[in-house]
Amino acid sequence: MGSLTSSLWIAANALDVNQAALDATSNNIANANTPGYSREVVDLSEQTPVEVGNLTFGTGVNLDQIQSVRNQLLTLQIAEQTSQQNGAQTQLNALQQVQGLFASTTQGIGEAMSSFFNGISQLSTNPTDEAQRSSVITAAQTLASSFNQAAASLGTIQSNLNQSVSQTVTQINALTAQIAQINAKVGQMQQLGQDPGGTLDQENQLISQLSQLTNVSETQTQQGLTITTGNGTALVVGNQSFNLQVGNGPTGMQDVFSQGQDITSTIQGGTLGGTIQARDQNIPSVLSQLNTLASQFADSFNAAQEKGFDLNGNPGQALFSYNTAGAAATLSLTTQDPNAIAASSDGTPGSNGNITNLMAVETQPLPAGEDPIDTYSNLVAQAGDLTSQAQANVTSSTASLNQLNDQLGALSGVSINEETANLLNYQNAFSAAARVVNTVNQLAQTVLTMGTQAAS
Amino acid sequence: MRVNPNFTADILQNLYVSQNQEQTTIQQMSSGRLINMPSDNPAGAAQLVENQVQQEQNDQFQQNTTAIEGLMHSADSTLSSVVESLNQAVSLGVEGGNTTKSPAELQSIAQEVQGIQQQMVQLANTSYEGNYIFSGTLTKTEPYTLNPSSPDGVTYNGNTGTNTVTIANGNNVQTNVPGSQIFQGAGGDVFGALQQLVTALQNGDYSGVESATTALGGSLSYLSQQRVFYGNVLNQLTDNQNYLQQEQVTLQTNANSIDGVDMAKAATDLSQEQVTQSATLAALAKIVPMSLLNYLK
Repeated sequence: MGSLTSSLWIAANALDVNQAALDATSNNIANANTPGYSREVVDLSEQTPVEVGNLTFGTGVNLDQIQSVRNQLLTLQIAEQTSQQNGAQTQLNALQQVQGLFASTTQGIGEAMSSFFNGISQLSTNPTDEAQRSSVITAAQTLASSFNQAAASLGTIQSNLNQSVSQTVTQINALTAQIAQINAKVGQMQQLGQDPGGTLDQENQLISQLSQLTNVSETQTQQGLTITTGNGTALVVGNQSFNLQVGNGPTGMQDVFSQGQDITSTIQGGTLGGTIQARDQNIPSVLSQLNTLASQFADSFNAAQEKGFDLNGNPGQALFSYNTAGAAATLSLTTQDPNAIAASSDGTPGSNGNITNLMAVETQPLPAGEDPIDTYSNLVAQAGDLTSQAQANVTSSTASLNQLNDQLGALSGVSINEETANLLNYQNAFSAAARVVNTVNQLAQTVLTMGTQAAS
Repeated sequence: MRVNPNFTADILQNLYVSQNQEQTTIQQMSSGRLINMPSDNPAGAAQLVENQVQQEQNDQFQQNTTAIEGLMHSADSTLSSVVESLNQAVSLGVEGGNTTKSPAELQSIAQEVQGIQQQMVQLANTSYEGNYIFSGTLTKTEPYTLNPSSPDGVTYNGNTGTNTVTIANGNNVQTNVPGSQIFQGAGGDVFGALQQLVTALQNGDYSGVESATTALGGSLSYLSQQRVFYGNVLNQLTDNQNYLQQEQVTLQTNANSIDGVDMAKAATDLSQEQVTQSATLAALAKIVPMSLLNYLK
């Protein structure tokens, strides 16, 4: 049965509910620009009506829940794309440095090799000329140095990447520890039947940060959320996190271990995956080609030297030497003596007969299959290819990440327009409910003063 | 339908992309090159390496050609003087073969011929840039020394070695003829004939003088044939310079077709990119302040 009291209670309840809805709206507005925030919506329902006889009386509004709007599938896809994008970007940064070493056609190994052979060609016009012989030795020295420099620069890029492995692992461990703590909290809230909304947002944000560092997969288990690397190494199981360790691997680089097992080669995506890919695949591949070129070129030229005679009429000696452990880094000259160039084919100083053999080194295929210049230009093309592939990966993963972020934003993003409209609605409802309280109050006054009015 | 309310990230990404394109275009325009990093065009970058090497090689071939030209000119003009002196010796021989000359006159002619003999040794010992040009590959050894006890009056100290120099891909030229072949080859021995003439003149042997003069004339014409070698090489070198210059133009054209920037196109691209960018910025400026709040006063 309708009564003033029930109207008052309905209005008072409506004040509370609209107050709560205003809170949610206010929270949405406050977090409009917070990364990872999912907007909250207020679920309202009508309170169970009371039936008296054949009349039904409403009993007001009920606040069911304040829920965050999220889509777990999209969140997972975004995490996946984020690691791909970060991995490609990290790789790209490293490869841009690598290709920079081979970018110039007017300096570097190709140019040094060209100058060296042109110097020998010039020597053929006057094989006894000391100045020209000296300039051949200088060109040979420049060539050896440019191999040394390229190898050293590759080494520097590689060791910088190597340092960042342990830094990244430290960051991963810090994040997984935080996620485990939040997992514990979410578990408690869920046991108490609370919506862990804001806490889940925090967790998603941490997972998003984690997936910038490495590719992870998430599964819900009885213990709560489980996070593993893409390859299945556990990082977080419920409220427990498993630290990754860094230690020396077989190549002397910092490898990543999980519970004593070397998992370096299984890590993909994210800063860590990109770093390891560039450090263990891209750079060694370029360096090994550089080493092959250095050693085979040196062998080939030394063999040509040994077919001739130096200016003093002695049999030609090897001009280049190197250490097989790193030919490009260790390529050096065996002598600085200009007379050592074996131009002569018969031991007479004026003969240039062996220069044909020396020059043939430039155009004859090395054991690796192509002549030195072609081998070098292939190396340039390969450095460019690797970089442009990484560039393409960055572009495509950025595009799909934007697309996914758009989708998630359409679902979970805070729209100021929408919130403003809600604000007006809830404000009006609140004012109206307050007016009802006021009205009921006036009615009560009327009722209470009914008798007195009659008496006076 | 709900749309992503945080569109700024998208617009910023678009701005970043168009800024990046603009920077690339500006870099291409300022460097005049399409390939500034191997990743801009990996295959093209490799071709440019090869092209650069070929251009430098071509340049070196031109330098080789110039260097040999000097050597060839020096040899050719030396042989021209040799021919002049020998002609003089032949005239003296003809004069000495005349039986009206007295023995005393023959002695004085013999002295003149000996002077030519010495001059010939000097000419055969000509050097170019510190190298004897007629001593085979023993370029630091004086090819001829006078030797009165030898039947031809001289000793050859050189060897029979020859050098070749590459002046273009697949084009090698021989750059010397050993003195033993020019002056004392199978077709005629200049020094032998001179010594024969001197001896005949000193002995007052008129018929000997006559036959020595004939021998000298024969070896002179043989030497002239040898001299043609240098003339031919000089012609070849001139042709080669022209070829190499054309080749240089071809190589530069190739490089330009791989790497050259079409400035008109680049300028058009740049202005398009600028239009895109300012349009995006204008859109951003219009959209950002727009919200329901602006209309609730």
